[in-house]
Amino acid sequence: MKNRASSHIVILLLIVFLTAISHYAIHYGALIRGYETSTMTGFRNIALLFLLAILPIFLARFGKFQGNWALYTSAVLLFSIGLTVQYRLFSDQEYVSKKDKAEARQEKIKTAQMHYIQQNYSPEKKQMMGLPPTEKAPVDLSKETPRPSEDSFFGTVFSGRTIIPLFAIACLIGVILLFRRDDVLEILQKNGFLLVVLTLVPLLLAAITSRAGKSIGNMTPWEPAKIPFLIGFAAILAVLYKNLARTYWGVPRAKDVIPLLFMAMLPFFPFFVLKDFGQMMVFSSVYVTLYIIAVRRLPQRFVLIGSVLLLVCVLVVGALPEDTQAKIPLLPTLAKPVKKVLPDRIQQRFHLWLDGFNPPTPETDWWKEDYDDYYKKLVEKEPNLPQMLEEDPNLQKSINVDAWFDILAFQPAQATFGLSSGGTTGRGLGLGYVELIPVSDSDYIYAAIAEELGLFGGLLVIFALITLVSAGIRTAVEARDMFSKLCAAGLTAFIGFQALVNMGGITRALPMTGITLPFVSHGGFSLITSFIMLGMLMAFSHRNSVDRLVEAELINENR
Amino acid sequence: MTLLLFFLQISWKPESWFGGQILERTPAGLSLVYLIGVAVLLIFLILSFLRNTRLKFAFEENLPKQVKRKLTSTVTNRSLRIWQFVFVALALTVYGFHVYWTYYADKNNEQFQALSYKDLRTRRTNAARLRGWMLDRSGKLGSALAYYKVEKDGTIDRTFALEKEMAHLLGTERGTPGLERTLYKAEADPMPEAWEILTKIKKPEEEQRDVRITIDRDLQAYVAQQLQGKKGAIVVMNPQTGDVLAMYSNPSFALSDAEKLEGYLRLEGDKMNKPLLSRATREYYVPGSTFKTLTMMSAFRAGQQDLMFPDLAAPDCYTPYKNSRPICDAGGSCEICSVSVPLREAYKVSSNQYFAQLANALGRDRMGETARLVGIAPVDTPEDALTQGYFADIWNASNKRIANSISPTRSTIVTGSKLSLYDFGLEGMGQGLAGQMTPFQMALIASAAGNMQGMLMKPRIEADVPPQMFAQILTPQQAAEVRDIMSTVTEEAGGTGGVVKSKLSGTNISTGGKTGTAEKEALVYDQKTGRLKTVTKKRKNENGELVEYQDPVSYERTDGWFICIAPLENPQVAIAVVVEDIGNRFGGQTAAPIAADVILKARELGLLGEQYRPKPQTTQPKKRK
Repeated sequence: MKNRASSHIVILLLIVFLTAISHYAIHYGALIRGYETSTMTGFRNIALLFLLAILPIFLARFGKFQGNWALYTSAVLLFSIGLTVQYRLFSDQEYVSKKDKAEARQEKIKTAQMHYIQQNYSPEKKQMMGLPPTEKAPVDLSKETPRPSEDSFFGTVFSGRTIIPLFAIACLIGVILLFRRDDVLEILQKNGFLLVVLTLVPLLLAAITSRAGKSIGNMTPWEPAKIPFLIGFAAILAVLYKNLARTYWGVPRAKDVIPLLFMAMLPFFPFFVLKDFGQMMVFSSVYVTLYIIAVRRLPQRFVLIGSVLLLVCVLVVGALPEDTQAKIPLLPTLAKPVKKVLPDRIQQRFHLWLDGFNPPTPETDWWKEDYDDYYKKLVEKEPNLPQMLEEDPNLQKSINVDAWFDILAFQPAQATFGLSSGGTTGRGLGLGYVELIPVSDSDYIYAAIAEELGLFGGLLVIFALITLVSAGIRTAVEARDMFSKLCAAGLTAFIGFQALVNMGGITRALPMTGITLPFVSHGGFSLITSFIMLGMLMAFSHRNSVDRLVEAELINENR
Repeated sequence: MTLLLFFLQISWKPESWFGGQILERTPAGLSLVYLIGVAVLLIFLILSFLRNTRLKFAFEENLPKQVKRKLTSTVTNRSLRIWQFVFVALALTVYGFHVYWTYYADKNNEQFQALSYKDLRTRRTNAARLRGWMLDRSGKLGSALAYYKVEKDGTIDRTFALEKEMAHLLGTERGTPGLERTLYKAEADPMPEAWEILTKIKKPEEEQRDVRITIDRDLQAYVAQQLQGKKGAIVVMNPQTGDVLAMYSNPSFALSDAEKLEGYLRLEGDKMNKPLLSRATREYYVPGSTFKTLTMMSAFRAGQQDLMFPDLAAPDCYTPYKNSRPICDAGGSCEICSVSVPLREAYKVSSNQYFAQLANALGRDRMGETARLVGIAPVDTPEDALTQGYFADIWNASNKRIANSISPTRSTIVTGSKLSLYDFGLEGMGQGLAGQMTPFQMALIASAAGNMQGMLMKPRIEADVPPQMFAQILTPQQAAEVRDIMSTVTEEAGGTGGVVKSKLSGTNISTGGKTGTAEKEALVYDQKTGRLKTVTKKRKNENGELVEYQDPVSYERTDGWFICIAPLENPQVAIAVVVEDIGNRFGGQTAAPIAADVILKARELGLLGEQYRPKPQTTQPKKRK
């Protein structure tokens, strides 16, 4: 099992086979619940994976690819798990449809009830209910008429869910071919600053004009901008790292630090405007990683890590729930100014993270608005409510709890219940209730995996990720120039941290931020970005191998 | 060749591998296969990655080891390795949180447990799982109280035959649970994991058993009809077995209204009518003269049934001690009360003076003892009297949850030694500090008198649990005597419950009973707005300033009572009726006719025994509601 394309192709083909099994399981689970899954989508998924499985043949044959295949295979493995869970979710009308949601849910409930009645009720009972009096009999799925899926050939082939992965694969190939060229890398390294500015200008404009955040549905068009930002930072760091290491009383010279800081700060502007705090979190951790790796002075590292920790502490202190703060002396006074400055969204997320099952009081400023809306709607239905509140103060508490779990805490709470109900091996594909978690195809996909595949499924995702990251780090270690080393390390850190921040948000190890799980989550630009990153890593890996081969040949010739 | 044949023979349908009878097994098994398969592939991948060490430069081959290490491990590369290590540690930490939520949160995180009702999954599984049917005492599917029906729009809904009439018994889906939520066994684990589906579940889901309860569907409907437009409660029991035949509290509510939050809030907010309150089991009333039955039973238990009290001097009232307030009969209504009369006569005319003296003569211990035996808690001080909680143990139920769901508020009397003779005398006649009686409790007292063995049977709601005794109260002879004395009220001329006899004339049924009329302090509500009426008063606060506050207005509400047993020879029903706010009338005029009608209906339904049942041709077959 050396790094031969053929052995990886075998693994990839087996992944395709297993995914086919999982799709059948989902199909069968759907039939039990009384609806059909789309066969077209199933075949589409298998075809996509098959394409990815045989891609190494072409890359090795015609592209003369020499890099590490483990990068590719672990990414495809993650992608296949993602496709499986997405298939589960997207074939469920209750999850997908906006108008027929309630109807689809009712039909599912009814199917379960009818199965139960058919198996258990005597003919007399059935007749009393208004059903044909049949004897008790086991359920035969082949005799039932499930709710048909909206299945059309063209609809499937030309949907975004087909085109985007295809485009991502094309990007992958293109990037591999492009980034393995010396001249391309040289241009990028020399014009890092220009690259960043060129990305920044349209992005900032777009961000300021549409502050709504996610503009086109679930699309995040600024996602690919991460790559030029990273290249820019790596480029400037590759130039400056030696100077930065030269310190005077532990502080490097200003003329070295300022350009770096400037470069590092630039990407934060658009993301701040877009309120994409998850990306900011990932960006800062990646930059810190790169700085620590490149600059080799211990005190500087301490200063940097210390300041990052301080920032985190300030955030946490500011957002700690009030009753927790009250327990520690001096903390409330310390936290007050911080609280004023912190945006509402961050405070909400922190409260959800640290004390998510405990609703804040209705007077809390970042919660008041939502609560009041909810309350107004209630009053519209029940005009006597204000008077009842006067008489019974406990009522407000219960309304507050209901509002909290209906609005802000709804998604995280449902996800946590999902995690907890999954157990060791999960409920089985198609047997969980992942459709109850909103947006569980992208941000919350780990919750869906955990519910239907359990701890075991989560472990597979984590280890596939660790493999991917390890392979990326090896690429960085083997890289021979600082720029590609930093680039490879940065890309790896990007994928790794993004995944950790996402999974940490769902498991409540970190505040939830709404960024995707690379390769697994459904998404347009995020998927394309992930594949481009993979392509770059593969290109770097390829360059490493070629370097060594060339060098070896040179040495051999010289002998 | 044989191998090929073998492959052709085995079925390639995955359903047949995992056990097709249980549908869920197929996807569960397949997803396990998927998991294991991916795990194996991942292990291969990691192995291949680990073995794929980096390419060596040709010149490295001959270099000594230390030099080679120096060449390859730059500070940057070491940092990268450390970072990789940190990343793996972080990833495993995140995974640790996942483990926490799956394994420990269920057991150890109290907040998480308390909020499990917010989990939509349980709501979903509950919606899909059908409860057993609830059948009335006949056990016929045709007279089911709660069952499933296919609605016009095709949904399958839990339907209640007596949705409004039995609302308090059935209980709402939010708030305190009732029978509907407790009668059926909770599923052990409604959400099995994939491997559990494969290994543990051997047969398809078993049906939840139908439960037969002791309520008679027709009687319950009839009882509910009797109280329409009034506030009050009726409890009908079988004194021989403890079966609760009907129990109703008016105003009631429709269960479907309480399902939605708004509807529930509206019901909850209706403080004037309190529709959610089960008056039969959870409201305290002043029992009035009906309580004299208990005092009488105490006298029998003490062997003091023949006690006579000396004639009273003018002004014809009983004064327990010097300078005490007198205990009189209402408006001087009783002419013989001031003279020495036997118990039988005093009970018939409901003499307050006699029973006040009797209570004092019997003493607190004896009264308290009898009270405890019928389920009333004797307490020391008036403060304790309102804090005795619910009395679930009175029920003869197959499990605690059922008993809790319909448990009555514990009725209490004060028997402490600090109580004055006047106050205790008042208790003996059902006034004053005896004012914490539930209608359910009064039905139990009637039931104790009606039992042929002189026992109090534990009330039961499930028809299939064997009858159980709560306490032996009287000897059979004493019980017969008590019944005989009770019959004076309804059967003899001059009894306060004479209306019963006239209503039952021609049916050959003789009854015994006791009327009661009692005043209770009650708050005034505005009839239009439903709000509490208040007057603005002033008082001094801690700082000595005068502050205005709203003081609720209250008035003396008169409640009419009637408890009775029928038929006298072998009582099959013990009834307690209370009607609130009867104005200037008495219990004998308001509550007693209702009880008589209920007895007639019970007779028609054959609940009194076949010999009393009217001839079939005389009654028209009534259509079930």
